[in-house]
Amino acid sequence: MPESVVVGEEVWKVYGQGETQVPALRGINVDIRRGEMVAVMGPSGCGKTTFLNCFSGLDDITRGKVTLEGTDIHAMSDRLKTEYRARRAGFVFQSYNLLTILTAAENVEMPLLASGVRAREARPRSVEMLRELGLGDRVNHRPSELSGGQQQRVALARALVCRPAIVWADEPTGNLDEEGSRQVTSLLRQLNRDFQQTMVVVTHDPDVAAACDRTLRMRDGRFVT
Amino acid sequence: MTDPIVLFAATTLGAVGAVSAYLAVRNRLSLRIALRNIVRARGRSVLVILGLLVATAIVSGSLVVGDTVHTATVHYSYIGWGYTDEAIYGTSSSGGYLYFSSIVANSVVTASANDSRIDGVSPEIVGTVQAFDNTTGIPQTNLYLVGSNASQSAALGPFTSVSGGNPGSPAPGSIFLDKLAAQDLSASVGDSVLLYGKFAAPEKVGAIVQDDIRGGFLTAGVSGGSVFVDLATAQALQGTPQEVNFIAVTNAGSQESGVGLSSAVSASLTAALATIPGTSALSVHQVLSDSLATAQSASTSLTTIFLVFGLFSIIAGAMLIIGIFTMIAEERKGEMGMLRAVGIQRRTLVLAYYFEGLVYSAGSALAGTFAGVAAGYILLWFYVHTVPTPGFDVNVLGASFTFSSSSLITSYLVGFLLTLATVVVASVRVSRLNIVRAIRDVPEPLPPLRTYTYLAYLGGVSLAVGALLFLTTFRGSSDISYPVIGGALVILGAGLVASRFWKNRTVFTSVGAGLLLWAGVEPLHDWVLGTGHSGGIFFVFVDGVMLVAGALMIVAFNGVDLARSVERLAAGRKGATPVTRIGLAYPSRRAARTSISLTIFALVLFTIILLAVYSATLTGNLNNSVTSQSGGYTFLGISSQPIPDLPSKVATNSTLSALYSGVVPVTTGLAFVSVQGFSANPYHDNLFSAPVNTTAETSFYATNQFTFQSTDHGMSASAVMAELQSNRSVAVVDGGYAGGSGFGQAGPHPSVAPGDMIEVENPGTLAAQNVTVIGVLEESIVGGVWLNPSTAASLGYLTLNGYFLTVHPGVSSTLAAQKIKSAFYQYGLVLVDFRAILAQTTAIISGDIGLLEVFIALGLAVGIAALGILALRAVTERRHEIGTLRATGLTRPMIIKAFLVEYSFITIVGALVGGLLGLLVVYNFTISPGSSAAYAATLFVPWWNLLAVILVTGLLATLAVIGPSLRAARLPPAEAIRGVE
Ligand SMILES: Nc1ncnc2c1ncn2[C@@H]1O[C@H](COP(=O)(O)OP(=O)(O)OP(=O)(O)O)[C@@H](O)[C@H]1O
Ligand SMILES: [Mg+2]
Repeated sequence: MPESVVVGEEVWKVYGQGETQVPALRGINVDIRRGEMVAVMGPSGCGKTTFLNCFSGLDDITRGKVTLEGTDIHAMSDRLKTEYRARRAGFVFQSYNLLTILTAAENVEMPLLASGVRAREARPRSVEMLRELGLGDRVNHRPSELSGGQQQRVALARALVCRPAIVWADEPTGNLDEEGSRQVTSLLRQLNRDFQQTMVVVTHDPDVAAACDRTLRMRDGRFVT
Repeated sequence: MTDPIVLFAATTLGAVGAVSAYLAVRNRLSLRIALRNIVRARGRSVLVILGLLVATAIVSGSLVVGDTVHTATVHYSYIGWGYTDEAIYGTSSSGGYLYFSSIVANSVVTASANDSRIDGVSPEIVGTVQAFDNTTGIPQTNLYLVGSNASQSAALGPFTSVSGGNPGSPAPGSIFLDKLAAQDLSASVGDSVLLYGKFAAPEKVGAIVQDDIRGGFLTAGVSGGSVFVDLATAQALQGTPQEVNFIAVTNAGSQESGVGLSSAVSASLTAALATIPGTSALSVHQVLSDSLATAQSASTSLTTIFLVFGLFSIIAGAMLIIGIFTMIAEERKGEMGMLRAVGIQRRTLVLAYYFEGLVYSAGSALAGTFAGVAAGYILLWFYVHTVPTPGFDVNVLGASFTFSSSSLITSYLVGFLLTLATVVVASVRVSRLNIVRAIRDVPEPLPPLRTYTYLAYLGGVSLAVGALLFLTTFRGSSDISYPVIGGALVILGAGLVASRFWKNRTVFTSVGAGLLLWAGVEPLHDWVLGTGHSGGIFFVFVDGVMLVAGALMIVAFNGVDLARSVERLAAGRKGATPVTRIGLAYPSRRAARTSISLTIFALVLFTIILLAVYSATLTGNLNNSVTSQSGGYTFLGISSQPIPDLPSKVATNSTLSALYSGVVPVTTGLAFVSVQGFSANPYHDNLFSAPVNTTAETSFYATNQFTFQSTDHGMSASAVMAELQSNRSVAVVDGGYAGGSGFGQAGPHPSVAPGDMIEVENPGTLAAQNVTVIGVLEESIVGGVWLNPSTAASLGYLTLNGYFLTVHPGVSSTLAAQKIKSAFYQYGLVLVDFRAILAQTTAIISGDIGLLEVFIALGLAVGIAALGILALRAVTERRHEIGTLRATGLTRPMIIKAFLVEYSFITIVGALVGGLLGLLVVYNFTISPGSSAAYAATLFVPWWNLLAVILVTGLLATLAVIGPSLRAARLPPAEAIRGVE
């Protein structure tokens, strides 16, 4: 059995204070193994994005413990957390969050540059990644010159270009049509197989969930079985 | 109120108010939205008003400085002339007043006796005198001598003694000293004083009087002391029995009302003079009103200098206003889109925006007007503490600090309209808002081809107007600014037309380069436009704006490559690439937005560096040019009575011969110089001429080391001097005649070139002669015209009362000056110390320029504010992107660094562009070979000062953006991505 990559123990996340407190995560226990591709499903507002943010280290938690590849992520300093993200994690957001001022290739190579790869090596790697995703002819385009599906693929390329150990994807197909959605799903699946990458995919789409190894169902800040 | 400015302001403000009120009543909803926006973000509103007030403050500051100087100079005019509204006198060739018979004076008294507009006519002697206080043992040369009869000078007002009483009038044997003369002599009432004019007279000090309307006559208590004596004593001193040289006429009424009668009174006095025999050399001068007019023009030109240099900062202020309103517009884009979507009319929103701007404009113009008054006071306060100016010290500032209501109203109006105009422009921009784009926050698309077609039409207009301006002004003697502006409009117009067909980058880079060449290559102007044009500080402004615009165009359209090369430079260091990439992406790829602060920085640093380098170059060259300015001599001595054979007197005096190595006598006098094409002929100047029948050591021709800016046919300096010595029809003039466009020049001065003919008239004898200028000297301290000695003699210049003196090496010039002055004080010997004058001039120039720099620094404050606002706005706008970057693995320090890189880029590029162009302009105006105003030889760059300016700028800019950068870095990534406020 492969080692545990994402482990959560009694993780709580409470937004706000006093009267307006919203407990978004209510004692999450989870264990995701290396090479697993996991879908997270649940009704709107149940805490899926919060789960992703808290477990990837983008956001702090209120109580409990999150261990990524054996280290307690919330015990790290911000600098270490950031460096960990640069080297080991990739993100795909629902609204692609590309930098509009940069070209596709420049967006993709940003995590490489952030983790200290030289600009001379970073460029061919990012172009290669874009080509794999079928965007070889869009390398020097700005996001405003790309369609929504193309933008999402650029965001995917950015998340995957470092060959991260863990990919966190928040509704990666939410803005895509059926065809685009299928392409992105099979791509994720293939990369997951080829590189033993662990993938956590938040989705509303049963087809995406079906392509995953298993599905975690969420309700009111808890996983239900 | 009859003041046209007030009337105009009231009308304009009334019109704006009425239109706005009408709009407000018809569009209550707009008004409500506007008021809600203002009240909702009260802190922001205060910030906006602070940003907006700067332009107004610069206008009102300039006007207040002018007002105050006006008040002070008017005050001195009133004291200095007292109740002398008109004066009747003639000018002698030595520069003093011409003596005429008392009978003539009494005829004037009789002729005016029945004129109700005239209060009194006082015949006087006005001259200079030397004094030796026997009691204290102190001599003093060159005191004013004022002699009048008590019976004929009542209209001039009573004296007031320093203790406050009325001492009566001076009488034979009893003289009055004013406070300054008493100080100079350490004199007290009762001292015995020996006076020397042409003859000596022992006197007693009868009273020491205040420098009030009577006792401050001519000196205003500011410079030079006065001795008041009775008329007979003055006549005895000057050796002019039964003669006077000055008739003071007092108009009826107070000083202020009397001066209004001046032209009428002077007309009837002139008519009266015509009927009195022996008055052909005399004329009537409206001394008080002339002096008031001079005061007016002096303060106006000061205001102009401040305003012109302030213009750079005003432009910077206007840019800031546009920046602030664009920021507000963009911030509200989403909200406005929503309002439009729910059915609120476009017109309602635009009006809401207009009302908001109206409130800001009204408020900031008001605050700015008063901030300018405060800034003006602070500035003058610094001035009186750093530049010692006789007659303008702390007390005078306190008494004369003024802000006229018309200045306040003008500033308010200018500031209000300037702000409102930009607000209207911004509102119109908002009106083009596309609902969908606004809600989804999609960037505005590239302008369609149609826009370029419109721009091409605009370019055509600019081309035509520019060509017209250029063609009508490029030859001749108009201000050089006009053809240069014409040329720039042609370049710009051609560019706009071309942008319809070619790529923006190619076209506007060429336009920028064209502007740089056209404005920056000085020889090009001489070549294309000839050298006949005049130019002043306005041209400095025109040139500066064009250069900065050209350079920034090149930067804006080539920023991407610039950024790429910087990025490549930084690529070696780990983590540097993402920082430089992100930091430089915004300023280079969104050039239009960055250009606001870039322009502000470039303009302001251009001005500051221009002024700093100009003042350093001027003072540096002055110091370097002691020899050329002094001709190698130490002093120029002038005595009121000629000292017969001074060279042998010095040689036989053991004390003086130990100090002095050379004495070279010259003839001096006053000349009326007429130059063809000069607007204010004749120009009053000094006349010099050196005798030829002298020994080698006492010959001016053999000893002087004066150098020339230009000579006829490029003759050598010695050839020019030899020609002057032998040729009766030639002349040499001082450097002031070189003319040209040096800034800081006061009053009109004729300009000539070698080969030109000028007419020199002796005002004493009315003899005149045309002579050819064969050399223009470098020097301008011993200002004047040099004539061949025979020519000078034939015109009636005969007094040998000037002496170029040289001290032995190592001798203290202070000691040498003391000794020779006390040996010859009876002759009224005064010395011009070349080195001291150069030092003083240098100090005054640097002081004045330093003051302007303080003023310009206001513009720098604008630039810093703009940066801060831009950075703050960037943080809000880029929340999403910052969050993404953080998720992608950029650390907090990297985010901060990226922000700092971004704003350093703006600051550094702005400073580089401004600084280099500032240097270029100083070079063009001072030492470029093509410069018509060339009067310096070396460019002096005050590196330490520049470094300080740049460091302070950098530090302040960093302080302004560090807050927003920290805020950006602290954004929690999860929330930033979600877009939670
Ligand atoms: N910053 C916050 N402050 C307070 N409450 C918050 C905050 N962020 C999220 N919440 C609340 O936490 C709960 C979970 O939100 P979350 O965004 O994780 O839901 P989700 O499952 O991703 O929903 P969706 O499928 O609609 O994206 C919601 O009830 C939401 O209102
Ligand atoms: Mg969500």
